[in-house]
Amino acid sequence: MYNYVEDGDSKTTAYVEHDQEKYDAFMARIEAGEKIEADDWMPADYRQALIKLISMHGISEIMGALPEKEWVPKAPTLRRKLGIMAKVQDEMGHGQLLLRVAEDLMKPFGKTRENLMEDLLNGDLKFHNVFHMPTKTWADAGMVGWLVDGAAIMSQTNMLDASYGPYQRALQRICQEEVFHAQHGESIIMALAEGNEYQRSILQESLNRWWPALLMFFGPASAETTGSSKQDIMIKYKIRKSTNEELRQAFLSKYLPRVFSLGLTIPDETIHYDEKEEKWIYKQPDWAEFKQIIRNKGPKSKERLRLREIAYENNRWVRQALAQEPVNV
Amino acid sequence: MVKESDFYQVYEVFSRRGNKAPMQHQFSLLAPNKEMAMVMAQENFMRREDVVDVWVVKQSDIRKMNSEERQSLTNRLDNKQYRTTKGYGYLRQKWKEKEQGMLDEKEIMSWKEVKKK
Amino acid sequence: MERGEEKMSNIIETPEQAKQDATYYQALRELLLQLADDDLLISFRGSEWLGLAPHIEEDVAYSSITQNTMGHAVMYYNLLEELGEGRADILAHDRQPDERRNGCYLEKRNGEGMYLEEPYYDWALAVVRNYFYETCKKIKLEAIANSSYQPLAHVARKVLMEHPYHLAHWKLWMKQLQSSTDEAKKRMQTRIDEAWVEFADVLELGNLATDMRKHRLVTISEEEIKDKWLDEVKTILVDLPEGPVGKKYGSGRNGEHTDDLKQALDILAEVYNSDKAAAW
Repeated sequence: MYNYVEDGDSKTTAYVEHDQEKYDAFMARIEAGEKIEADDWMPADYRQALIKLISMHGISEIMGALPEKEWVPKAPTLRRKLGIMAKVQDEMGHGQLLLRVAEDLMKPFGKTRENLMEDLLNGDLKFHNVFHMPTKTWADAGMVGWLVDGAAIMSQTNMLDASYGPYQRALQRICQEEVFHAQHGESIIMALAEGNEYQRSILQESLNRWWPALLMFFGPASAETTGSSKQDIMIKYKIRKSTNEELRQAFLSKYLPRVFSLGLTIPDETIHYDEKEEKWIYKQPDWAEFKQIIRNKGPKSKERLRLREIAYENNRWVRQALAQEPVNV
Repeated sequence: MVKESDFYQVYEVFSRRGNKAPMQHQFSLLAPNKEMAMVMAQENFMRREDVVDVWVVKQSDIRKMNSEERQSLTNRLDNKQYRTTKGYGYLRQKWKEKEQGMLDEKEIMSWKEVKKK
Repeated sequence: MERGEEKMSNIIETPEQAKQDATYYQALRELLLQLADDDLLISFRGSEWLGLAPHIEEDVAYSSITQNTMGHAVMYYNLLEELGEGRADILAHDRQPDERRNGCYLEKRNGEGMYLEEPYYDWALAVVRNYFYETCKKIKLEAIANSSYQPLAHVARKVLMEHPYHLAHWKLWMKQLQSSTDEAKKRMQTRIDEAWVEFADVLELGNLATDMRKHRLVTISEEEIKDKWLDEVKTILVDLPEGPVGKKYGSGRNGEHTDDLKQALDILAEVYNSDKAAAW
C-alpha cells in the first residue's frame, strides 16, 4: 500500500551523463507504452524517482505489517486469527516483492536490502503516514483492512500500467491479493456494523480517529501545501496516471457511500459532494502534522521503528550464520 | 562480521501449475544458498496457486539478453506467413467442393482419441 | 493383534457410535484435546513471530506453516464440536489453563519481551521447538492415520499431506544453524539442552494413554512414539544431550502448566473476552 510523498533530500545521487540522444529514445519508448527493464538505459531522475517510490512503498509494506500484526494473536475467533494472519503475511510478501524491485534499481550504486533497512532505522528512508498511527481496538484492525487498504488499492491500481516493467509486474501480483484484503477488511467491519452497541461504538470511534490519516494518505494536492511534491515527474514518466487529489476524490466517491450505508458518520460536518463542481468538498487535514508524521514524529513512529530495529539487530546472528553453506543437505 | 550482501544471492523462482503447463517465471528472492531459496520459494510466490514443480536458479547463472539485445535481437519482419496456416485458408473451400472437411487445428488436436477395436 | 488389545478393532464412524462406550469416548476426547491444544499453542507462538523473523522471505514462509498448523487445530476442535463438546471457538478461547492439554514446552514464550514491546525473541528457540514438535507430530499423525475413530483418521491423513513441508523447512534450519558460526552453534545447543529437559510431555499421551492404545485410537504406544522420535532427532542433532528427555514443568496432558500459558491465553482471548456474546 502506498503513495509517493516527497520529503527531504535524497541520499543517493545518480551519476548518469545526460545524453540527449538516449534520452529521446527513452522518452519515445515511454510514449509508445513500452516497459523499461532494470538494465535498460534510463535518465537519472527516472531511476531516482523509482528508487524513492519503490523503496518507500516496499518498506511501508514491512512497517505496515506491524500495526495490524498487533491484532493477529488477539483476533477474536479462529477464523479471524487465520484471516488476519494470511493478510499480514501478504503485506510482508508485498514488501519482499517491492524491495527486490528496488534492490535491482540500486545495484549500480552498490546498495542492497541491508542498506535499505539501515536507511529506515536511521531515518533516511520514510514510511507511509498511516503506519505511524496506533491501532487501539479490534475495530482498527478492520479499519486498516477496509479503508486504509481501500486507499492503497486506489493508488496502486493507478500504477498498474507503470512504465517500469518490474514494478508493474509486482503491482499485478499485489493488486490481485488486495482483492482478498479488501473483502477481509469488509468482513470485519460488517460484523461490527451489524453487531451490538459496543461493537458499533468501537467502529465509529475508530473511523473518527483514522479519518485525518485517510485524507492524508494520498498526499497534499499540490507542492504549495507541504513545500514539495514529486507527483509531476511520476506522471511525465508514466509511472502513475493521476494526481494526489484525483486519487483522493476517487477514493471518496467509491467509499463514502459505503461508509454512510453502514450508518457511520464522518467527523467533518462540511463534507459533501458538490454536484456543480463534481467533486467532494472536505475539511483539509492538518498538513503541518502530516509533515511531522512522515518525519518519524507521529504517535507511534518511535515504537514501530524500535520493533523493526530489535527484530533486525536481534536476528543478526542468524543472518551471519547463513553465510556458510549447510553441511549434508 | 560478514557483509550480508556478500552471501545473500538473488535466486529466480520458476514453477509449474500443472503437468501440462510450462515452467513459468514467478519472481525473485534473496537467499544465502539454493536449499534455503527452495524452502522459501513456494510460500513466497505461490501461496494461492497450484504447484506441481518448483525451480530456483541463481540469477548470476542465467545468461540473459542485455538491454541492446532485447531491442535488437527480438525483432522480426511480419512476412513469415509461410510458417503458419495463414496462407492455406483457401483449402477449406477446395475440400468443401470435394465434400471433405478441413484438417484444421481443432480437428487434428482431437485425434488423441482414436476408436478402439 | 497385540496382546492386551481388546478385540475391539471396531471401526467407529460417527460421534454417536463413539459415545456408546464411556471409556472410548473419554480417551477420544482427551486425545483430540491434546492434538488441538498442541497445534493451537505452537501456532499462537508462531503468530507472535510474524513480522519479526530474521529476514523477509523467512517471515513469509514461517507464517504459512503457522497458518497451516492453526488450521490443523481448527480441524481437531471441529471434531470435538461434532462430539458435542462445545463450539470450536469456545474450546480454543474459553478454557482455563488447567483444562488445557498441550505440552508445557509448546506454551513457552518466544524469548524475552513481548511481541508488542521489546520482543527479544530467540530464533534458536523457534527452530529447535518447531523441529522437535514437527518430528513428534509426524510420528503421532502416522499413529492416528489408522485410528479406530474414522473422522480422526481422516483428518490425520489430510494433515499428513501438508506436513512434509513443515518438517523439511525446520530440518534445513537445524542443519544450517548447527553447522555455521560458533555463536549459532552455542545458541542452538543451549536451546537443545533446554528442550531436552522440558519436551517429554509433548511426546506423551497423558493418563488415558492405555485406553487410547487399547481402543486403537492410536496404533502405537507412548513408548514407541518416544523411541521413534529419539531415533529421528539423533540423525539431525550434532550433539545429543545426555540422559532421558524430561518434563521439568510437569505434564500438560494432565493440566499442569506454567505461567506462560496464562500469558498466552490472556492475549489469545483478549478480544473474545471483551464481549463473549458478540458475533465477531
